[in-house]
Amino acid sequence: MINPLCTPLDHALTRRRFFGMGAGALAASAMGGLFSRAAAEEIRKKEKQVLFVWLDGGMSQLESWDPKPNTVFGGPYRSIPTSVPGVHLSELMPGLAKQMHRLCVVRSLCTKDNAHSSGVERIQRGDPKTRGVPYPYFGSSIAKLMGPMESHLPPYVCIKPGSGGFRSEDAGFLGPKYGCLAFGDGLPPEDLLRNKSLEEEEDEARNALRARMNERFVAHRAPNNTEANSHVFDTARELMKRSDIFDASKTKPEDVKRYGTHDIGRHMLTARRMLESGVRFVKVTSYGWDSHGDNFNAHGTMVPKFDQAFSSILEDLAASGLLESTLVIAMSEFGRTPRINGHAGRDHWPEAWSLAMAGCGIHGGAVVGETDAKGTEVKSSGYDIGSLFHTWYTALGIDSVATEYDNHGQPLPIAHEAMKPIKEALA
Amino acid sequence: MLSKFSTLLFCAVAVGAAGAAEPLHTRVDRLVDAQAAGQPMAALSTDAEFLRRAYLDFAGDLPTATEARAFFADKAADKREKLLGSLTEAPRFAERLADALNTMLMERRGEDAEWRKYLQASCKSGKTWDVMAREIISPDYANPELRGAGYFNLRRLEKVGQQETDYPGLTRDTGRMFMGVDLQCCQCHNHLTVKSYKQADFNGLFVAFQNAKVAVPDATHKTAWVREGAITAKYDFVSVLTGVKGQTGPRVPFGEEIATPEGDEAWLVKPDPKKKDPGTPRVSPLKEIAARVATKENTFFVQNIVNRMWWLLMGRGLVEPLDLQSPLYPSSNPELMDALAEDFVAHDMSLQWLLKELSLTRVYQRSTVLPEGAAPADTLFAVAKERPLASEQLVRSFLRATGVYEAATAPGVAKGQALADYEKAFRIAFSNAPKEPELTVNPTLRSALFLRNNELVLSTVRPGNGNLVERLGTVTDSKAVAEELYLSILTRMPTDDETKEVAAWLEKYSADRPKALGHYAWALLSSEEFFSNH
Repeated sequence: MINPLCTPLDHALTRRRFFGMGAGALAASAMGGLFSRAAAEEIRKKEKQVLFVWLDGGMSQLESWDPKPNTVFGGPYRSIPTSVPGVHLSELMPGLAKQMHRLCVVRSLCTKDNAHSSGVERIQRGDPKTRGVPYPYFGSSIAKLMGPMESHLPPYVCIKPGSGGFRSEDAGFLGPKYGCLAFGDGLPPEDLLRNKSLEEEEDEARNALRARMNERFVAHRAPNNTEANSHVFDTARELMKRSDIFDASKTKPEDVKRYGTHDIGRHMLTARRMLESGVRFVKVTSYGWDSHGDNFNAHGTMVPKFDQAFSSILEDLAASGLLESTLVIAMSEFGRTPRINGHAGRDHWPEAWSLAMAGCGIHGGAVVGETDAKGTEVKSSGYDIGSLFHTWYTALGIDSVATEYDNHGQPLPIAHEAMKPIKEALA
Repeated sequence: MLSKFSTLLFCAVAVGAAGAAEPLHTRVDRLVDAQAAGQPMAALSTDAEFLRRAYLDFAGDLPTATEARAFFADKAADKREKLLGSLTEAPRFAERLADALNTMLMERRGEDAEWRKYLQASCKSGKTWDVMAREIISPDYANPELRGAGYFNLRRLEKVGQQETDYPGLTRDTGRMFMGVDLQCCQCHNHLTVKSYKQADFNGLFVAFQNAKVAVPDATHKTAWVREGAITAKYDFVSVLTGVKGQTGPRVPFGEEIATPEGDEAWLVKPDPKKKDPGTPRVSPLKEIAARVATKENTFFVQNIVNRMWWLLMGRGLVEPLDLQSPLYPSSNPELMDALAEDFVAHDMSLQWLLKELSLTRVYQRSTVLPEGAAPADTLFAVAKERPLASEQLVRSFLRATGVYEAATAPGVAKGQALADYEKAFRIAFSNAPKEPELTVNPTLRSALFLRNNELVLSTVRPGNGNLVERLGTVTDSKAVAEELYLSILTRMPTDDETKEVAAWLEKYSADRPKALGHYAWALLSSEEFFSNH
């Protein structure tokens, strides 16, 4: 049942279906109406992945990617040279400064929304031209466009502090199937680990028995939940097989030390193992960046942790060769005001801010655009988030203009139709 | 002359037949059969199918193996009617109905003890639907018996983070739940496809809710409550698509505008910021709305609940979707809808009465097994529909089937193993996400993992406390074991193949017989057959 075009978010398709995803199920849904079948097959052949680091609350670009030391709004931190001559990052990012040759920093972001509740949604959904339907989060889009990998692990996961669970809302009009499986504190979902009273052999035997019973039952009945049922049990089994991803004892102590034992360090390490195990889209969420007060102490503590974790994962992905096929993004919903307020804080500033990218299809060692001397405005024309979505799809080998969603007969662009990929950001 | 006379006679006979009060369930069957004329229809359900279905629908759980055997052995021609009679008389019926109403009205937004108490007490006392609807739309928060009903509004008006209070959401849900109309789109413009839904319909309802605020407990209100403001002026709106302006006072969708005093006259006691007095409105907007929504004169109100009760038992509404009642989505059987509405009103809008009548129909008692080669349209109700089970039904069925129910409800039950613990675990594993209508309950990764690995689940199939697996441990005849397993869990006798399968299974894993029994029971409990109301 679909309520046609109208007010946003509540129009998500209401059927909740989290299927385990086999290639079969996806091929079937592609038939049902995505874009051309051939294009779908093409996209799926490329085993590309995405690491999306979400710094919730608005990381200050002035204390990270676009420092302005010794200016009226620059704050107390200095800048340091990086592995790319002429490019400086905040002194709070020594690790990433060494990785600058892998990074593409966009300093010319200029977006519309300065509120968290709406801004987060806009950024993560790509803020396309309004069509009266809720657009999917980038992760859900990739889950739909590229599907899960050979591993059959869930295609869109999130590692975050706090609670986990399944976020079907992320998927927007694509349907709850493409939602996000969140691992609270990077911990396994409840009941993931095989119950202690069971051995693998008996577990398989009783599941085989259950499957036979289901076959008998549906013989004379309308096909109902059979496929869905077997898929979720299969996904459960696949995830159970890879429960080592969550096993802290399986991590190397030197890795734990390198990434940091803080939240973002641990979660980033889990993210690496997820990527290595064949999860298509891994989001790592870090909270607490909204420093309206005491900005400099806050960022002074948080940026180095982010720096430690993020530079470690870049190093590791590069070393294993995964970086070539993994698109890496780190961003927030907006930046922070150059102007320092009465609480030694910075407020929201979507008018001129930064993000960083690396990996698949991205031009390493590049800086895209610049802000003025005080950091208040973008010097040239700014880029809205739509341009970034175009850039990301292109980096992953997806034609961001020709590819369309098919929302029950309504063709929808995958990115803002008036925008284009950022050429300088692409390899 | 003669023809006129015979016409009159014919009419008299017809009236006589109706006047002899054709029971609703007979009328339903007649109208359904008429519409399906010529199409192959499923046979009536077997005793096994019927027994299980009746228990799930009216008791919210399963019969024991003993009860099942007794029912199958009973030769009385009217045993099904008798069973339905006893199930609808039992206290469990009220609880089952309360569960169904909770899921329908709250869509898993949260649990509230007062709300549950209100629903259960109302269902137990046979409170009629119009009274309940009024108590929910316009709650009396000062009355300890009725304040629970206020959860419907209260929960939806709670502020979440930085987000605006969701008045549009509450407006929309009031329209959906009580009139079967989803007017969400009409906040900003006339509905694009359902032409009969207009912007004024949404906003007339909206204006009644938009001054309501969540208030903290005080002298007269022991719990959080919703304080209403006054409507001091008409509400102005403009269509974002056409730019056409409009204006409305409080108004039930498709109804007449309700005249309310404007300006200062709207207040009995004007708000006084100095005294921190939010003021007292002269007229309660919600009360006015409730009185005009929840009345037999409001056809949407009547048809909505009748449609939803039909859906509850038959798996598909006469109007689908359930909340787009309009000329665009007419009833698949208008005569039937009219008959149901008419009799429902004639019986004072008693939900219990309606459900009982529906249970007596052949439509309800049909099998879900398709006639050979047939694929009749859903709208004909020629075949019963398999329906999903709500978590409340699942947990009780699970506990009954495994023979753990007694232990879970015994005084002095171990911590973490009480019925409430099971209910919570099953609700988390098997409910839809909040704010989703629970029309279907689809399998999820969480539910699969829950069934596979959860300790509470697996503990039910380990021998102990005289449960099913323990009792079967001492039964050596595998045929008897198979019978007891299938009767307890699937409420039917096993087939020959299934009996052989049990024997083979127990033979293969004879080293640890209790474990083997537990695994076989688990497979049955995790099967689609168990999870489906068929």
